[in-house]
Amino acid sequence: MTARFTMDETQPRLLDETAQGVIHEPMDRPEGRLKVTGCARYAAEHVLEGMAEGVLVRARVGRGRVSCADEEAVRAMPGVLGVYSDSRMLQVPAHGGAGTAPAQGPDEVRYFGQPVALVVAETPQQARHAAEALQVTYEEEPGDFDPDAAGTVDRPDKRALDQGDLDQAMAGAHRTVDVTCTTAPQHAAAMEPHAAVAVWEGDRLTLHGTLQMLKHNRAELADALGVAEEQVRILSPHVGGGFGSKLGISAESVAAALAARALGRPVRVVMSRQQVFETTTHRTATRQRIRLAADADGRLTAIGHEDRVYNLPGNAFSEPTAQSTHFLYAGENRRMAQEVARVNRACTGAVRAPGEAVGMLALEGAMDEMAEALGLDPIAFRKRNIPQRHPETGQPYSARALAGCMDDGARRFGWEARDPRPAQRREGEWWIGIGMAAAARVNLVSPSRARVTLREDGSALVETDMTDIGTGTYAILNQIAAEMLGLSPARVEVRLGDTDLPPASGSGGSMGASSAGSSVFVACRALRKTVAGRLGCHEHELTLKDGTATCANRRARLHELAASGALSEEGEFRPGTTKKQVSQASYGAFFAEVAVNGVTGETRVRRMDGTFAAGRILNEKTARSQCQGGMIWGIGAALTEEMVFDPRDGHVVNRDLAGYHIPVNADAPPIGVTFLEERDDHACPIQSKGVGELGISGAGAAILNAIYNATGLRLRDYPVRPEAILSDT
Amino acid sequence: MEIAFVLNGAPVRIDTTPTRTLLDWLREERALTGTKEGCNEGDCGACTVIVTGPDGTPRALNACILFLPQLHGKAVRTVEVIAGPDGALHPVQQAMVEHHGSQCGFCTPGFVVAMAAAHARGRTDHEDQLAGNLCRCTGYAPILRAARAAEGAPIPAWVAEDAAAARNHARQDTQADDAHPVFRPDISSGERGDAARGAESPPPTAPDAALPKDSDALAAWYEAHPDATLIAGATDVGLWVTKQLRDLAPVAFLHRCRDLARIEVSEREVRIGAMATLAELHEVMAPLHPSFAELIRRYGSVQVRNAATVGGNIANGSPIGDSPPALIALGATLHLRKGDARRSLPLEDFFVDYGKQDRAPGEFVEAVSFPRRPDTLSCQKLSKRFDQDISAVCGCFDIAVEDDTVTRARVAFGGMAATPKRARAVEATLEGQPWTAATVEAAMARLADDFRPIDDMRASAGYRLRAAQNMLARVFAERAGARTSVLEIAP
Repeated sequence: MTARFTMDETQPRLLDETAQGVIHEPMDRPEGRLKVTGCARYAAEHVLEGMAEGVLVRARVGRGRVSCADEEAVRAMPGVLGVYSDSRMLQVPAHGGAGTAPAQGPDEVRYFGQPVALVVAETPQQARHAAEALQVTYEEEPGDFDPDAAGTVDRPDKRALDQGDLDQAMAGAHRTVDVTCTTAPQHAAAMEPHAAVAVWEGDRLTLHGTLQMLKHNRAELADALGVAEEQVRILSPHVGGGFGSKLGISAESVAAALAARALGRPVRVVMSRQQVFETTTHRTATRQRIRLAADADGRLTAIGHEDRVYNLPGNAFSEPTAQSTHFLYAGENRRMAQEVARVNRACTGAVRAPGEAVGMLALEGAMDEMAEALGLDPIAFRKRNIPQRHPETGQPYSARALAGCMDDGARRFGWEARDPRPAQRREGEWWIGIGMAAAARVNLVSPSRARVTLREDGSALVETDMTDIGTGTYAILNQIAAEMLGLSPARVEVRLGDTDLPPASGSGGSMGASSAGSSVFVACRALRKTVAGRLGCHEHELTLKDGTATCANRRARLHELAASGALSEEGEFRPGTTKKQVSQASYGAFFAEVAVNGVTGETRVRRMDGTFAAGRILNEKTARSQCQGGMIWGIGAALTEEMVFDPRDGHVVNRDLAGYHIPVNADAPPIGVTFLEERDDHACPIQSKGVGELGISGAGAAILNAIYNATGLRLRDYPVRPEAILSDT
Repeated sequence: MEIAFVLNGAPVRIDTTPTRTLLDWLREERALTGTKEGCNEGDCGACTVIVTGPDGTPRALNACILFLPQLHGKAVRTVEVIAGPDGALHPVQQAMVEHHGSQCGFCTPGFVVAMAAAHARGRTDHEDQLAGNLCRCTGYAPILRAARAAEGAPIPAWVAEDAAAARNHARQDTQADDAHPVFRPDISSGERGDAARGAESPPPTAPDAALPKDSDALAAWYEAHPDATLIAGATDVGLWVTKQLRDLAPVAFLHRCRDLARIEVSEREVRIGAMATLAELHEVMAPLHPSFAELIRRYGSVQVRNAATVGGNIANGSPIGDSPPALIALGATLHLRKGDARRSLPLEDFFVDYGKQDRAPGEFVEAVSFPRRPDTLSCQKLSKRFDQDISAVCGCFDIAVEDDTVTRARVAFGGMAATPKRARAVEATLEGQPWTAATVEAAMARLADDFRPIDDMRASAGYRLRAAQNMLARVFAERAGARTSVLEIAP
């Protein structure tokens, strides 16, 4: 049976009525034991009978065509089984939710490092050796490698907004801010490199992959290979981090599948760390101009947010930089516009919190500047400009605790003690300052399905092709089912990451917990109805707890009710009209205290707090970790993370973890995370919102605002290099 | 080549190509895939294993840049087999589950093993012990909480068993008089034969690899194979293989040359054998020159310091190695040997130019020594990321002041030139002058005479020069009692 639900109206808060009491609890992740013992198997760790090893060959020009690859010489090398440059191989990865193949054809080189061939051999060493030895000659063509000087610049209509008259508002304002902020290219740098193991049985492909959105990935892979979706099965039960880099299929999946088909053997393709940096999606650099106008009362009359990003020619993705600027603050005159510079660099795509991760840095820095220009406290200024209704669409907001988060955070952090005058506090060599920024991230949901089975023994099984990329899906889907069915979590089993199971939203855009969670909720709600029917009562009278169903004076054990056969329901959740009725987002506030060294220009974050409101928190522990991890990303964006591209040919200079600096534990200060109690009735039937990206959406701005408070230096280029500070102190 | 070691409590004898890494071998030959490959160059720690050597101390090492011959005679532990014999989780594993220290789980085994190694040694400086492990999910706090929670829990029995196995092997090894392992693998039985059978017949000398038992054997072999690559800790040479895909043959592994690892501290001199690890150097420097020790604490990571050697850090001639500037400031002398011939030279003279050192073919670094004096050394490391990062500038200042006059000034920098280099103009400006702000300012200005630093990804030339000048100012402030430690930032 399939229970279908579309979110067309707000739903009763059933999870507040149920009796088991496991929802929201900080439950340990059920797969934790597997992970700490090294027994959780990731894609590259599937060893199949007769498996051959493939290594991708990287283009060594920034743009051109492969004119010749000396495949014969390589085929003669020890262990080499084949060299493939099938026209179906991918040039770039697919974007999240694409569902169709991205640009294909390895002969046309569009960026340095693009895979141009796959060498397959008996052992990984032989394959690597042969891939390195493969002589490829190119007809090199001139490329555009500098986003600021690109010959082609697109201006997508979907990013353009012109409301009222920004220029006039700026001209007549009491105070204005007109600043340009830049952010560096960033990489997801998930700890697990991309990998795929492909095996064909007849016409049916099984791919062990490391992917975030399996139903889309299956469609992408089938489309790329030219086979029917039904012929493709993807398994991805453990994913070693994604952060957007595994939303769509990338080169290794298609190459492994093609070679496996051609050889009639399973083929494994694992990217090196360098290849991950070179050929998977990264976040564009941005150049953002923010204009703010305010009246004498400190009310914004205008907001302008224009940005320049980059991507490959013809690629559909562009960073939605101003995404939260549209709804966060008031101001009747508004202008948003985007330029997409077309350059021959690796493909840009969604990295954790696309849009807000960089857009909020510029906006929240400018808000800090405007507060100072107005002589207002940054929190008071922001609160004064929280709009009643969406300033562009007129929609009301769903649950929105922005003011509450700022107040709560301020109290916890000791904001009152802050001296608003910069460069007032010095401890030894260190200038000390504190700063804040708002957090906001749009809330998304997406169609999702799950099957829940109440088995004969009274335990439950949850099945969906949803993934757990470290977020805690195994835990929260367990908790939702346990709560709804009145079972201890130990009596619930969750199976994920297999396209043979009902298709879920996938992990991305912070929508997995709400979307997949709602599908489990819908299935369980149908099961509750069946259970109530078997007890002869109405579902509203039903209480389920510890494996016992009670209604009025009747009670039964669940295994008794399922004794005649397992009860199974597939739940389908679909976004509905509530999505359009209201403006939905998760909110929060960041507070940071920094120490800036007057001798060397080093900046260190001494402590950081975040208060967040994201609807119902399904698991306090996994949600806390999401925000904490996100805030560390904010520190990375503010101080250390920066991909460097060679201006001559667009190659990634720092294509390893020694040169691309993700924060280490010494860079991570004590971080406090607080959640405000909230239910968002418009979001989904479990009243939760996205939390996975919220912790990064604005975090870095709190740090740069704190640097200003510490030193009096208004820095607008991310990441802050020590020389930016030393040159001015 | 043929080697023997103990893996997870069981003896192993294998015939291996010399430059196969432990990580590849574990994952490909033994299906021990708990040990992860995250970067294959020692940056991320996901491949951390515990190696117990002849001294019985369990150490965390990066398996991705550890060649199999380096394990000869040692005991290796992987994440799959660190639990107690009853199958219960190791205390650090249990704590990682409870404190939610594992999210996506990919970095987790490396953290768990690094934590288990620290736990076995009773270490509670968790931030340092785990500085070599990268995590992209958790923000680290849950992991550090887990490490703290496991403090003081009982140490599993395998720690002592591995120590006994390694000591036992070392005893037998020293009784053997040939240059090769006592535990000869029985090749005919394949990889999994029993150990300790092969002492009776000396093995043939591998044409492209050697495991010399001491420095005399090394000197003889290297003189005969002057084109060979010497492999000490492999934290640099490892990358030549895993990243640059170079063929290194012939090679010699030096870890059996324990006579090269001696550190001697006399009343007049400190002499550090080339094979002493950075971890060992740290222990010796902590009481003698605390600032040097603090510099070493930020050198790589625990995993890297456990493998990297002082000789390697000098001999590779890198302009950004962190120990040469400190040693040059201390007035170090480098001791070289070729065959039976030995010579010594001031350390700074060894560095001729970028990629070029004063070393003859077949000649190797035996030791470095410096005079023992009261501590007047200040070392400062500046990098973009606090830990696990290459220095943009590393400045070391040994400035002695008597009666307000500078009686000795030796100043050396890394990251400021094509080699580690002395700041002679600065030194000249300081020496014999009153130790005043004016003298220091004059000396700061002379830095531009000593150095023409370059612009690169890590820092701009202007910043390097300015920061280097400021470092000297900081030394002056430090002597005046100012609080200058970059660690002292806690609120």
